[in-house]
Amino acid sequence: MSKTRTHRIDRHTDPEGPYPPTEEMLAEPIDPELRKAQGERLKKAWAMPKGWRYISAVNNSEVGKWYSLTAFGFMILAGIMSLIMRVQLAVPENDFVSADLYNQLFTMHGSAMMFLFAVPMFEAISILLLPGFLGARDMPFPRLSAYGYWAFLIGGIFVMGSILFGAAPDSGWFMYPPLATQSEGIGSDVWLLGLSFIEVASIAAAVELIVGTLKCRPPGMRVNVMPLYAWYVLVVGGMILFAFPPLIAGDFLFEMERSFDWPFFDPTRGGDPMLWQHLFWIFGHPEVYIIFLPSIAIAAMVVPTAAQRPIVGYSWIVLSAVGTGFLSFGLWVHHMFTTGLPALSLGFFSAASEAVVIPTGIQLFAFVATLMVGRVKMSLPMLWIAGALAIFTAGGLTGVMIAIAPFDWQVHDSYFIVAHLHYTLFGGMVFPLIAGIYYFYPFMTKKTMSVRLGRWAFWLLFTGFNITFLPMHLTGLKGMPRRVFTYPGDVGWDWLNMISTIGAFIAAAGFAVFAYDLLRPKGRQPKAPRNPWNGGTLEWSAETTDHGWGSRSIPYVTTRYPLWQQKGIVERMDEGRYYLPDAEEGLRETLVTSVIDAKPLQVMRVTGPAWVTLWAAAFTGGAFILPTFHIYVPAIISGVLAILCICYWLWTSTAIIPEKTKKDAGLGLKLPIYISGPGAAGWWGVFITMLGDATAFASLIFGVFFYWTASPDFPPEGSIHANWIVMAAAAALLTASWGAMLGSRQLNMNGRGDLATACLVAAPLLALAGIGAMILSVWLPGLEPTSHVYPAVMWGLVVWTSAHVGAGVIMQLYCLAAVIFGKVTPRYDAPLWNVTLFWHFVILTVLVTAAVVAALPRVL
Amino acid sequence: MPHRREGIEIFARKPTAVVAGAVFAAFGLSACEGPQSAFGATGADAIQLETLFIVMLVGAAILWVAVNGLFFYVTRVHTTSISRRLANGVIIGGGIGLPLVVVTALLVYGLSIMPDQRAEGDGLVVKVTGEKWWWRTEYQPLAGAPVVSANEIRLPTGSRTTFELTSERVIHSFWIPKLGGKMDMFPGRTTVLTLEPVTPGIYRGQCAEFCGESHALMAFKAVVMEPDAFDAWLEAEAAPIQADPQAPGAEIFFGEGCGACHALRGTQANGAVGPDLTHLATRESLAAAALPMNREALAKWVRNPETYKPGVKMPAYDHLSDEELDTLAGWLMELK
Amino acid sequence: MTRRENVERQEFAEERASLWKLTLGPVTWAVHFAASYSLTAVWCAKLAAPQDDITLLRLIIGAGTIVALVVILLFGLSAWRQWNYTQTGRATHAFGDAENRHEFLGHAATLLCGVSFIGTLYTAIPVLVIGSCT
Repeated sequence: MSKTRTHRIDRHTDPEGPYPPTEEMLAEPIDPELRKAQGERLKKAWAMPKGWRYISAVNNSEVGKWYSLTAFGFMILAGIMSLIMRVQLAVPENDFVSADLYNQLFTMHGSAMMFLFAVPMFEAISILLLPGFLGARDMPFPRLSAYGYWAFLIGGIFVMGSILFGAAPDSGWFMYPPLATQSEGIGSDVWLLGLSFIEVASIAAAVELIVGTLKCRPPGMRVNVMPLYAWYVLVVGGMILFAFPPLIAGDFLFEMERSFDWPFFDPTRGGDPMLWQHLFWIFGHPEVYIIFLPSIAIAAMVVPTAAQRPIVGYSWIVLSAVGTGFLSFGLWVHHMFTTGLPALSLGFFSAASEAVVIPTGIQLFAFVATLMVGRVKMSLPMLWIAGALAIFTAGGLTGVMIAIAPFDWQVHDSYFIVAHLHYTLFGGMVFPLIAGIYYFYPFMTKKTMSVRLGRWAFWLLFTGFNITFLPMHLTGLKGMPRRVFTYPGDVGWDWLNMISTIGAFIAAAGFAVFAYDLLRPKGRQPKAPRNPWNGGTLEWSAETTDHGWGSRSIPYVTTRYPLWQQKGIVERMDEGRYYLPDAEEGLRETLVTSVIDAKPLQVMRVTGPAWVTLWAAAFTGGAFILPTFHIYVPAIISGVLAILCICYWLWTSTAIIPEKTKKDAGLGLKLPIYISGPGAAGWWGVFITMLGDATAFASLIFGVFFYWTASPDFPPEGSIHANWIVMAAAAALLTASWGAMLGSRQLNMNGRGDLATACLVAAPLLALAGIGAMILSVWLPGLEPTSHVYPAVMWGLVVWTSAHVGAGVIMQLYCLAAVIFGKVTPRYDAPLWNVTLFWHFVILTVLVTAAVVAALPRVL
Repeated sequence: MPHRREGIEIFARKPTAVVAGAVFAAFGLSACEGPQSAFGATGADAIQLETLFIVMLVGAAILWVAVNGLFFYVTRVHTTSISRRLANGVIIGGGIGLPLVVVTALLVYGLSIMPDQRAEGDGLVVKVTGEKWWWRTEYQPLAGAPVVSANEIRLPTGSRTTFELTSERVIHSFWIPKLGGKMDMFPGRTTVLTLEPVTPGIYRGQCAEFCGESHALMAFKAVVMEPDAFDAWLEAEAAPIQADPQAPGAEIFFGEGCGACHALRGTQANGAVGPDLTHLATRESLAAAALPMNREALAKWVRNPETYKPGVKMPAYDHLSDEELDTLAGWLMELK
Repeated sequence: MTRRENVERQEFAEERASLWKLTLGPVTWAVHFAASYSLTAVWCAKLAAPQDDITLLRLIIGAGTIVALVVILLFGLSAWRQWNYTQTGRATHAFGDAENRHEFLGHAATLLCGVSFIGTLYTAIPVLVIGSCT
């Protein structure tokens, strides 16, 4: 993104009119008739589909609700599994469940809590709340949220359902090979494919949340006045982007081994199970903070309201969020302290694990400081926050202990760890989340939850939790390992386990009370007041009747707590005195603003209800789920249909050429409707997605170097190497394809549509030839991927890169069609920008692959 | 014993308090004790780690009370507001100052333990291979030939023993909490652990890395002996079988083909799939500590191992009559 | 291009850079951390036996640590200037104007450099107390 491109001088796209608005402009009254008409039009544009068509809705309020309820449902199921386990462990040598079922249960409990509850819950809640915090109408890509939700639902039901058939994964949520690669039945494949599918959906949601935070803030909301929640969304989104891809790369290698016997983790053929551990925990540890930070973000919204004061130490909290985000990537080996790595290596990870205490401490003390500055009113949400603090500090302190490598040698994989991780997750996620649900419930549903039931739920859950998990520290120190389906009666673990089981049922009763309060019908209850807690942030401006439009007009924001600090803002929003008070064309619109200073840039038309997202999710599901049963042809057909659905969806609803170049956004400001390149939300979406993709690729490259470091001979003596001449030709062809793509964009911009078309014909042909050459370069010399990990990893890189080039070809063809059918013109060229950006990443992947496959083995 | 006398004197003065204290202490101790407990450590490494834990526990308890006490104080007791300046001080002092001091000290202390825990062994090497779900062992003394055994670890006090750990198919982890920390066992590579037992006794170890269906049933007894006793045991262990290879039980053993999987040194049974049984009856437990070592348990195990260890490779011998099983078990118990 | 546009563009470029500046301290920590870890991994796997003396490795990491600390210090200094605390005495930056935003980014970057400095120092502690590849 060079400076000049960002600021292409373009009188068609530069905003016109006064900005920022003056006080006089905002004081201008609006004709009541006009106001009413505007309201009607807005209501119509944002209306929810009725009846059974309701499920085609894409509004963030609906998708967010489904998403969070589904995640909550999966949590209840995973919780029930834990109760079954607790019954089994209540007494020694119990036979309530079999060893096999127990192993499935703990695998599913962990996997579901992590992949189907904790991460999706963050995304669900953020989709639900973020537009409210930002006074935005909706998320930037509503259909993407809906697609992500349906993918999550299908994948979740598939993974969860497997246990009903006794076919669930049974190798632990960490799926260590060789145990998991050797595991018979489809369990491991269910885990790999089902959860990869959900991981893709998670990344999609992360991309959307990042773009939403960067580009859809209200005018004037510069980065220093964003609600803290938005900062956390940014950090957590970024972490998902860099943490999930290594796991996806690992899944890719793993599934190649399961399906095609490529020996990535098989030590008998040069593979190494440790590589999976590295990839898994490079994901797995940041994952813990991906779960923890959003809940801290909720606390950061609740605490200032309780104190009735702005947060103290805003910059400090931003520091701790960003700092934790970074440091969390330097901790992964503390899950591998007992694998026999050199002590010095372990020391680095002990040190980083201890360093993370500092940002975490700052975070907590900033809340305490805020409470000290304010006059605290203890409300129900604050009670849950207090419980969270009590539990989390205990979990954090045991975390400090086990970060010391030698101590971890003693308690690693014992019940001490089970206790520790549940303390951090209950204190760092469950309790703040419930606090947030009590706090935001009036915003989400316009009703309030019961204070009496809330207290009951709290005390049951709090005592039940501690009765369950506090003794487990001792159980672990007395030597009880994790993941055991039974234990003998003569080692002194029996009474501790009985206590834990009793506690688990008390905690379950607490959850039941909470779930009842959450879900009981509240139709006859009066509506909650508009701002029941007297909060200061924008979400509390939401009207008590939900019209689907988010805020009536999008305000100009200059403070961190506009409802406290900007007098009359709510009335002005209601009266439509701010931006976008109208939907003249009957279309759904929201504002796109600049990244740092939130200057208005564009009126973006967002997509409305659609079935195609559902179809796309269903077919994507087919493409991931069918291979589990080794049904490959229908899987490929399903994949093709998914791609067609996505192309149809993009073609019919994105980058639509508008009827006019600019429109009045209110307050005399005229903004473009269509922008392309780095100013546009879509471009950012592609850019951020590809950062994640590049991370996955980097993980594969890490794998190559890992094999080299970990084994004495890699590549082994006398190995066949790839044909470097053919590989060089492949790189040249693909570079030419990239050049043609870039050329088509520039030529089109200069009005040479004909030449651009020619380029777009040449580009996919060159790319296909490139794929062919790349495959030939490893095929011709006869690299046999099942024989040893070296040829397997070379093939792996070629397959990965070819798949990306293949996706690039589809995109080039899409652009070709767009140019031919007039969807792209010299002025309206967003698809060309976005696809070219994709190709920048592809060519990087291609060149690195070519270098590693053709040149590196000869150097090593 | 002056200690005890003093106790009795106090007992005379304040009986209830002392009784309560003694009961509590006794209960506290017995609550933490156990054959597999990290408390009451009997190895140099575990003792070091126990001290480390106690230090950390005390520190953690103080910090927990301080943080939560402060929170309680500002939300419930002293709810009037303080100046922002002071509040900023709270962030800097509590968020940076406090952890910096505590964590740095802990890090230096904790990491400096590591070289001790990974000190080189004094000579005796025990190779342990994790199998599904039992332990193959081989003792390699400085002098003398290696001795193969299984499912039990015997160690001398007073010297540091090296364990060379590996695995057959999946990852396991070797752990004797009373003696020290654990170390994972990987197929295709060797990891090293050294331990220095101090007090003789019979302890329990267990696999700590999830290794499949019967992970829970992969344990062993660790017998720590005085050096002389250990040498005597090792010598006996190196000898061929001591039981009568012509006895009726032996006939069943060989007739059923047990020798295809199990070795009995000094006979034609030389299978290496399952554990070496040459001195089976000297072990403290059966089937990787899933069962006690006695005649009844042996008979039950041979009849149907799957009942006691789901997924085990050994087939059931339920076609044998009760008498045959009893005869076989009786003979196996003679494998001293 | 008018003069106003020119000034705006310059300001924008500067601010966009300062969002990235936020990450400079932590990125330095990350590079130092990754380099120390990789070097140790390769050294212990390829160059040294478990009980070998690794003084040279420790010295290299030590030198790297000093370099990293200096780099973080320089980034921190630049951020400190952007924060401009000595002139304004401001640490809250709660208002939505260009000046507050400018100083806020400086402030947050300064603090992040502080944490990165501590993190980098911590990375060096194991090098002080552990002297072999075991």
